[in-house]
Amino acid sequence: MPMDEKTKTLQEDFEKNFADLELVIGWETGFDRLHATPVFIRQPSELGKLVWNPLCSQNLSGYLAKNLDASIQEDGKKIGICVKGCDSRSLVALIQENFIDRKRLYIVGIPCEGTVDLRRLMRLNPSLKNVRKVDIEGNKAVVETDQETLRFPIEDVLARKCLRCLYPNPVIYDTIIGTPVKPRISEDKAYTAVEKLDSSDRKQRLAFWKTEFDRCIRCYACRNACPLCVCQDNCIAESRKPKWLTQRDGIREKFLFHMIHGLHLAGRCTECGECERVCPVEIPTMLIKEKMNQIVKDMLDYEAGIDPEAKPPLLTFDPGETGI
Amino acid sequence: MISETGTQREKEIKIIGFLCNWCSYGGADTAGVCRFKQPTDLRIIRIPCTGRMDPLFVVKALIYGADGVLVSGCHPKDCHYAVGNLYARRRMELLKRFLPFIGIDTNRFRYTWVSASEGQLWQQVVTEFSEEIHRLGPNAGLNEKMDAETALSLFNTK
Repeated sequence: MPMDEKTKTLQEDFEKNFADLELVIGWETGFDRLHATPVFIRQPSELGKLVWNPLCSQNLSGYLAKNLDASIQEDGKKIGICVKGCDSRSLVALIQENFIDRKRLYIVGIPCEGTVDLRRLMRLNPSLKNVRKVDIEGNKAVVETDQETLRFPIEDVLARKCLRCLYPNPVIYDTIIGTPVKPRISEDKAYTAVEKLDSSDRKQRLAFWKTEFDRCIRCYACRNACPLCVCQDNCIAESRKPKWLTQRDGIREKFLFHMIHGLHLAGRCTECGECERVCPVEIPTMLIKEKMNQIVKDMLDYEAGIDPEAKPPLLTFDPGETGI
Repeated sequence: MISETGTQREKEIKIIGFLCNWCSYGGADTAGVCRFKQPTDLRIIRIPCTGRMDPLFVVKALIYGADGVLVSGCHPKDCHYAVGNLYARRRMELLKRFLPFIGIDTNRFRYTWVSASEGQLWQQVVTEFSEEIHRLGPNAGLNEKMDAETALSLFNTK
């Protein structure tokens, strides 16, 4: 189904069901057509704002646990939310941990062929402007501007998380828009980036992370964007009691902050890539969580955000466990 | 500690031990009461249960320059609080496998189970781990000298 048609189906679906909804969370066109931005709709007349295209990279499920009290039921109305494959996994993880109530949600799932990483796109074509439309056709990302139509190989412009995505189709939904798509890679290729780093010398890896983390400005955007970083104002990166981090500007504090973020997501991260997308200094923060997920999969045979009934492995135990 | 040649003082090694109140702390006490000879590098922090162990304790200690971290608690299924060490076991194993990825030598971290009556075992565990850390030498932590350029070429996200 072409992009415009999906947008239309999306709008129509919400129009049909709006009587049951108090709020719709989706994407709209941002300040220009090269950007999409989250939108919160409370009036049916505004549903025309909704869009779906490969620029809709934001994971909207984070809002549910952080900004809205989605677990309290008011006059039986639901919250409508649009999710891609990866976002739906975050939603499942939040449901597993009782942050949101499945009954309170109306989930519209959208099979996703990948989202465009704007930084990669702009690096490839710094003079790109007057964009009218961005779409994905097979192995090409098609960018239509007022003047011309450009085609880029998807390996060059898609977000890194999309190129290694195993769950392009929503794992939980009430309505699905369009037909399911096939993952671009096979399961054994999901951790190639981690494996590449793992194959190097330990000292090289330390140097790599030191250089990457050295850029960190501790803006905590990665934490704020993460749908599963739910501690908010009680985050130990900022609390004074216990005091884990000082205000000192040094590699140790930066390093430790990323360890806090990474370890708190152990066995929970659904690989939506928000941390990496929002990082202003482009630290590949998701690599840490990928490694963690790889370990959890090896050790405990678990993948986060697939089964709403499953219990995250670090919140439980098995007395009979052997080998560890 | 005097090195083998007897001429040079080795840099003092610091090992942090997180011991559970009910088993390993008692075990260490038993070892002391029985006058078993133990290395002096270990600084013990008593925790109520290994379930209290936040893997970040270990990471922070190693980043901030501890030479080794030893976590010890009751044997699985013998926890004073029934299941604390079963939670801990998963966390510790995960951490053990994760540390090499961020460039920290995983041999500097060890977790083990020692009960209050096992003074002998405690002596053995401490001695072995301490020897291992001496073999690895002081932990340079994040100050380790490395070639950043080759490291960066490892992974190009741009």
